[in-house]
Order: sequence, then structure tokens, then C-alpha cells
Amino acid sequence: MHPEPVRAEGGSRPVRREGAAAVELDDNVALYDDVGQLLIMLNSSAAVIWEGCDGRTTVDDMVRELTAAHPDDAALIGEDVRQTVRKLIELGLVVDAES
Amino acid sequence: MGIDREWVHRTPNLSALSYRFAVRTDDLSVGRQIDAALAGLRDHYETAFVEHWYSLTAAETPGGTLDVARDGQILARGQQSGDALGWVVWDVNRAAADAGADHLLFHSGAIEADGTGVLIPGASGSGKSTLTAGLVRAGLGYLTDELAALHMASGRLVPYPKPITVKRGSFAVLADIGPDACPAPGSRPWAGQEWQVAVGEGTGRAIGTPCVPGFVIVPRHDAGAATTLTPLSDTQTFFAMAVNAVNLVEHGSAGTCALGQLARGCRCFSLTFSDLDEACRLVLDLVSPETAHARAATEATAAQGGTGRAP
Repeated sequence: MHPEPVRAEGGSRPVRREGAAAVELDDNVALYDDVGQLLIMLNSSAAVIWEGCDGRTTVDDMVRELTAAHPDDAALIGEDVRQTVRKLIELGLVVDAES
Repeated sequence: MGIDREWVHRTPNLSALSYRFAVRTDDLSVGRQIDAALAGLRDHYETAFVEHWYSLTAAETPGGTLDVARDGQILARGQQSGDALGWVVWDVNRAAADAGADHLLFHSGAIEADGTGVLIPGASGSGKSTLTAGLVRAGLGYLTDELAALHMASGRLVPYPKPITVKRGSFAVLADIGPDACPAPGSRPWAGQEWQVAVGEGTGRAIGTPCVPGFVIVPRHDAGAATTLTPLSDTQTFFAMAVNAVNLVEHGSAGTCALGQLARGCRCFSLTFSDLDEACRLVLDLVSPETAHARAATEATAAQGGTGRAP
């Protein structure tokens, strides 16, 4: 039986889970998760998405804000944001604020 | 400190970070060697309880070799004196790394330059121990050559002045600090795959004082390569330290934050080198210009035959 794929729906409001330490380095962010004992490096794009996971901003809001800031990349931003949020959820670093 | 009548020699109480131990032997000349080699680890608190005993005893097989045990458990049998000491140093290293609750530990050399710490992280074979030894020989303060300890509460590098371990491949470039150059009085002729070079009072290799780190230098020994020092970004430095961290998981988020502070707060470089003297000159110019200048003046005087006259 295949596990249910993690979704990052447009209306979901991801929130950073407590217990993850974030360290800013250049344009990147190093995350350490005490629960999973994971050390992860987010590049500048992923770091912006991580910052956006505040429990109030929806995935669609993030896509809109990033598209406004980077109009040349508009075609890619939507899927990039959703993939990054899905990955952060899979790693247990982010949860849906309403779940 | 009493001496058990079974043993002819025991060391003073010794400590490797928070690991406390002493070494005893039934061979006086081996005892003198060990005293000299481990002098840098003398415990300042002489009344401290000895938690672990290492024993070096004559092996049953002929040939003057030694058996090595810790707390009665055999670590190695039939070792030449140098290798027997190497076993003790290796096991002490392992134990010190396990007892790192108060320190973030790294596979790294560390030195003190004019009150500032310099970390030299790297895996075995990277050249970190050789570079550390070369810089200590040049006059910088020795903190460690293998296991750097960042005290979490104070943010300072603290000394873990184990003997400098020199591998066979570096015997030639460090011959002037080898055991043949400065044997312990009354010691046996050296025999071993590695040298354990003593540090501290009377050795000419001073132990450094606790200090805030200001530099990270990631060495890469590459035979025949030009000596180059290349700046590293905070991210590159963080990675270089993280892959060499021994107990980051134990310190978790606090350790990660400390690592981040280290990466952001230090000047960080990668160093590719094949010639040790060139590498040391480059690093000295960076971390201790005064020492570099003094050494250059000394070398110039020596080249002129000590007369001050130009050749």
C-alpha cells in the first residue's frame, strides 16, 4: 500500500514546528531539527519560503509574493513553492496550522 | 600519591577534557617516556579522583614488548613502546570525545595566536596535525592536534594538550621535534608507527590559553600543489565544521547555533599546501603577523651567519 503523498494545498497555512533551530549563513539558512536530529541547509529561495511558514500566510500568498518579487521566474515559482513546502512537511519541520 | 607495590611507576593524575586517568607500568624507562609524553595533560587538581587506569606491562612474548590495558581490560598485546603509548593516546582521545557534555567537539587541530583561537578542521590525511605541529613549532600556543573543544558556556576553545601525534609520512618534515631530537631522560629508544611529541613546560612547545576562535583554516595537503589560501563563505565554513563535528547531535540546536556563530564570527579559509614551511609562513602572516615578523628576522639572521652582515 503506497503512503498518501504529502500535499501543500494553495489554501494551507504551513507553520514552522517548534524545536528547529535556524542559523542564517550568507543567503542560506541551516536548520537543525532536535526531534529528527537532522541538519539541513536551505538555499536562499527555500529560506524565504521557510520564513513565510508563519501559520498565517497561505501557500498561494507565498506564490503571489515571490512572483511579484521575481516576475521573470513566474512560471516556475508556483511549483517550486509547493515542492519546498511539501519537502519541509515530509521532514517534519513544518505542519499545517489547521491540522 | 601512593605507588601500588605491583607497579614501579605511575604518572601524576591526568585529564583529557573531563576524562580523568593515570598510567602505571612495571618498566621504569617506559614510565619516564610516558611522563614526558603526557606532561601536557597533567591535572591541575591533584586531589581529583583517578577514574581510569591504564597499565603498560611486559608482554609474555619475548622481545621487550608491552601489553596495554585500561581498567584491567586488554586494549592491545605485544606492542613496541611507541605503539603502546599510541594505544593509550588513541583510547584517551576516544574517551575524551565520549565525555564532551560541556564542549562542542571537532576533528580539528587548534592553536592560540596572540589570544585568538585558530581552528584547523579536517579528516585524517588532510594535513591538520602536521600543520598544527608546524605552527606550534613556529611559536604559536598549542591547544590540540586532533580534538578541538569549544566550551559551550563561554564560547572559548579550551586546551586539550595531548601529545602531538606525528604520522610516519610527516617524520621528515618534523624531524626536529621528533623523539630522536629530544628524548625523555632515561627513556627507551623510540619504536613505533607514530610519534607522540610532548608539549608543555620544558619542551619548547607552549600550551595555549583558552581563547575565542577568530580563524578557521581548512587544510588540504596535496603533494606538488602550490600553497594557496582561499577565503571561504560562512556557508562553506559551516559545512566544513559540521562534517568534522563529533557530538553535534548531543548538543542539538544549541550546537547548531554555536556552529553558526563560529562560521559568521571567524575569518575562514581553505589552505592547499604541499610544503609545510610555506604553509606555516602563510598562516602566520594571517593569524599572527608579529610572530611571522619575528621568525622572518630570525631566519634572516641565521642566513647571515648570525653576524648581521649581508651575504
